Amino acid sequence: MVTKDELNYLRWISRLNLTDEELEKFSEQIDETIKYIDVLETFHSESSSVDLQELDLSDFREDEILEFNGDLIPYSNLTPERLVKGPKMV
Amino acid sequence: MSTLFNLSATEASRRINEGNLKAEEYVWSFIERIEKLEPKLHAFISFNKENALADASGIDKRIRSGEDVGSLAGIAMGIKDNISTDGIKTTCGSKMLENYVPPFNATVVERLKKQGAIIIGKLNMDEFGMGSSTEYSRYGATHNPWNTDYVPGGSSGGGGAAVSSCECSASLGSDTGGSIRCPASFCSVVGLKPTYGHVSRFGLVSYANSLEQIGPICRTVEDVVLIMNTIAGNDPKDCTSLSSPETPLQINPNAKVKSIALVRDLIEGSDPLVSKTVYDALDKFQDLGIKIDEISLKSVSFALPSYYTLATAEASSNLARYDNLRYGFSFPSEGYEWNSYISTVRSNFGDEVKRRILIGSYVLSAGYYGKYYLKARQLRSMLRQELLSILTKHELLLGPTMPILPFRIGEKVQDPLKMYLMDVDTVIANLGGIPAISIPAGYSNELPIGIQLMAGPFQEQKLIDAAFIFQNAKKLSTRTPL
Repeated sequence: MVTKDELNYLRWISRLNLTDEELEKFSEQIDETIKYIDVLETFHSESSSVDLQELDLSDFREDEILEFNGDLIPYSNLTPERLVKGPKMV
Repeated sequence: MSTLFNLSATEASRRINEGNLKAEEYVWSFIERIEKLEPKLHAFISFNKENALADASGIDKRIRSGEDVGSLAGIAMGIKDNISTDGIKTTCGSKMLENYVPPFNATVVERLKKQGAIIIGKLNMDEFGMGSSTEYSRYGATHNPWNTDYVPGGSSGGGGAAVSSCECSASLGSDTGGSIRCPASFCSVVGLKPTYGHVSRFGLVSYANSLEQIGPICRTVEDVVLIMNTIAGNDPKDCTSLSSPETPLQINPNAKVKSIALVRDLIEGSDPLVSKTVYDALDKFQDLGIKIDEISLKSVSFALPSYYTLATAEASSNLARYDNLRYGFSFPSEGYEWNSYISTVRSNFGDEVKRRILIGSYVLSAGYYGKYYLKARQLRSMLRQELLSILTKHELLLGPTMPILPFRIGEKVQDPLKMYLMDVDTVIANLGGIPAISIPAGYSNELPIGIQLMAGPFQEQKLIDAAFIFQNAKKLSTRTPL
């Protein structure tokens, strides 16, 4: 069962503000979902292999610089000095 | 009012290239259609009317001067709003990106435009691709054109609705756990999820990168071939894209499909009307001389829990980037310190996104990683091996696309688990990385039902062959809703 303390921890590591109402609502809904995926516990594999997509290092493209000639400012939160402005670090 | 919107994309591009149809006239027919239907359907988030007309006029000018304009000349494409389009807002159905305008095109969009396609608008979707009904869009739900009280499916619901109601020639969607096939089934159109790696994901906003693929949603199988041949192929900008078969997809009227196997586990638990439609489809294939078998997939019962473990885990990582610092929505940082600003802006996610981030964090957290995430990865390997083994003995697998009929708007939105359970038939193809297509197979009380075919990796041609045969044999009504 997903406890309220666990959910509080999860919202902290996920950087999500949740109201008390949301905490209550999500607690039930997430608990129900976790109970559903608990069926994974009944699976026992003879092998512990995990499929991975293998990439040959020679398949990588050349690391070439392409100049971007467009104007980023209309597309982003950049300041006129082309800096990202963020909140203060405490 | 023009009815040129009824032409298939294949037919329209042929007439435009031959000079028998003006691209501007053709695109105008969609503009009129959109202006008439959008108040009822809400399939689009952004409408690119002026640029679309300008592009169409440009196509006509180039044709008059004898230039080659491409195989998709004049085709009005709807693009799901999680696929980047240079200069056109790309919101992913979310308020987190309500002001985001990409400075580049996704590779698939570049390839479409190079062949003369015209972007008519950006299509509505469940927020960040998370959902099966388009009700989780932060811009309002899309309505099913066959009955506007019902959902069009999701998360590419805007694409399903727009193509079905002829608001665009064809659309691109993305499919992580059924998000192309579900709306295709609910809206009576054709939707293809390609083999993982067949189509570049460069420019697709990530939800779960090991599972998702961009694919076409079209009115006919021929149009699916036309769009796939344009967008598919290796892309140096996407290291997970693979080299596709050298021969492009074709329509083979005389293609021979040897055998199709019904996956019995997919049909158990389906609505009886859906099961009947699937069995009728099987009978149709049998009448056409195709050998029919019935098989069972051992891993199916674990597929959906594995999917929701892996997809939410990847989502929790992929959505960590939305801190509203480099892009997002207007919210000044004055007065906030770092952590409180970021957690405040991230409250702008909708409920379903928040749920999936929390679940994903849970299954990856210390103490639970081995119990959930690692197990899900192992199950995924086992499922893929089982699928590949079965597909050496049977050319194609068949099942329902969705276990239920389209449902009323608002019916399931408060019960997330009920919504997740609808994906039980579609997640298998994503987990296995194999291609799958949904084709219209019937109706019940005017609500569409689709069937799903799956094939081995890069065997899209076999899907196309079977889908084309079925499309011609079934001869479903070509009536356009609304």
